Amino acid sequence: MKSLNFRDMERLSAYLDGQLSPSEKTRLEKRIQSNQAFAAALDEIRQTRTLLHRMPRRRVPRNFTLTPRMAGIRPPVPRLVPALSWASAAAMLLFIFTLGANLVGKLSFGASAPMLAAAPSGLGGGPAATEAPALAAPVTMPPAELRSDQKATITPTPEVFAMAVPEAATPETNPVTQPPATQKAQPKPLNPWLIIWPGLAILLSALALLVWGLNQFSFRRKNRRR
Amino acid sequence: MDETALIHDAQHGSLEAFNSLVLAYQDALFNTALRILNDEDLAADAVQDAFLSAFRALNSYRGGSFRAWLLRTVTNTCYDELRRKKRRPTTPLEPETADGDEFESPNWLADPNASPEMSLDQAELEHAIQHCLENLPTEFRAVVVLADIQGLDYAEVSIAVKKPLGTVKSRLARARLRLRECLQGFRELLPAAFRLEEESSI
Repeated sequence: MKSLNFRDMERLSAYLDGQLSPSEKTRLEKRIQSNQAFAAALDEIRQTRTLLHRMPRRRVPRNFTLTPRMAGIRPPVPRLVPALSWASAAAMLLFIFTLGANLVGKLSFGASAPMLAAAPSGLGGGPAATEAPALAAPVTMPPAELRSDQKATITPTPEVFAMAVPEAATPETNPVTQPPATQKAQPKPLNPWLIIWPGLAILLSALALLVWGLNQFSFRRKNRRR
Repeated sequence: MDETALIHDAQHGSLEAFNSLVLAYQDALFNTALRILNDEDLAADAVQDAFLSAFRALNSYRGGSFRAWLLRTVTNTCYDELRRKKRRPTTPLEPETADGDEFESPNWLADPNASPEMSLDQAELEHAIQHCLENLPTEFRAVVVLADIQGLDYAEVSIAVKKPLGTVKSRLARARLRLRECLQGFRELLPAAFRLEEESSI
């Protein structure tokens, strides 16, 4: 063995793996046949190599397949999503707008609401219903048409008018000289936008919910398939 | 579907195609990592990381042996793990004597006074070889594991360790010499392992 240097050992190792050129191989084979040390070294390298080849292969403890999450793959986006990605924002804006419009409407038309309610039902309502004809009484209705109890409780004085309609009239308002009061008594048609806006808001919210649901469903189905 | 088609599909983002390749090569990668790291859990982690890195860097694969390309990824992951272990070494759980002193292990297996009649089973042989592999420098260990345990040819090993053929040839010869010296200590203990009747010709 001592007569061999590292270059010889390297050649013997490559010879075992069939990595020598034909000329190198022939030369080395001659030396192996003539030199006992070469033959012994070759045998030892071969034994080592055989031992390594014999190393048992272990079974994998688990599969190493990647999930879309591990690979950082996002689920495919449904076709509707780009078009309706702003649906929830639009629905929220419409909702706020509708809420605001309702509040403003209530504040500004607070006085007219009882009148609208009273007009179709005549005088049969509660105290609010009895106040409506009282507003109109000085101009449109003769006092004789009023019932006796109403006569007793309501008189067409400016003070009573002011109590009945605090937001709509000032204390100085004279009921006789207020022609608009008679117009308020007429039933007004309902503003269609009060139905359209909330309707639109609900519709867009439903669409946003639908898109989100579709997105979740397609993502889960794709994951289950893997 | 053949490997080339699977690689092509995987390069175009098909995770299903890539996972078919994972199933085909996970055994080779795991056994390579196991022999380099000598720890099943670390080897499993290294293989998972290697497959993830391979999927992300799949477009850098330009043909050739895909097995060698994948093994390069896992070899690099193992190198990283060994470097990390070197930076933060852990104290191994050594068996202790009654006085609380540690036994001089793991050379217990290379006891020269052991009876020559004693036969070792496959697990002990594996233990002995693994012990010798662990004593090799990392670069030599990777080359010998790839060539002699995984059966890669020199060109594939060259791709896997990213070194020229001459370096592979030299490292493999050195690794085999060192292993032979190490296994000399087990020679008397492993008579069956050195019966090389099945080794026919070169």
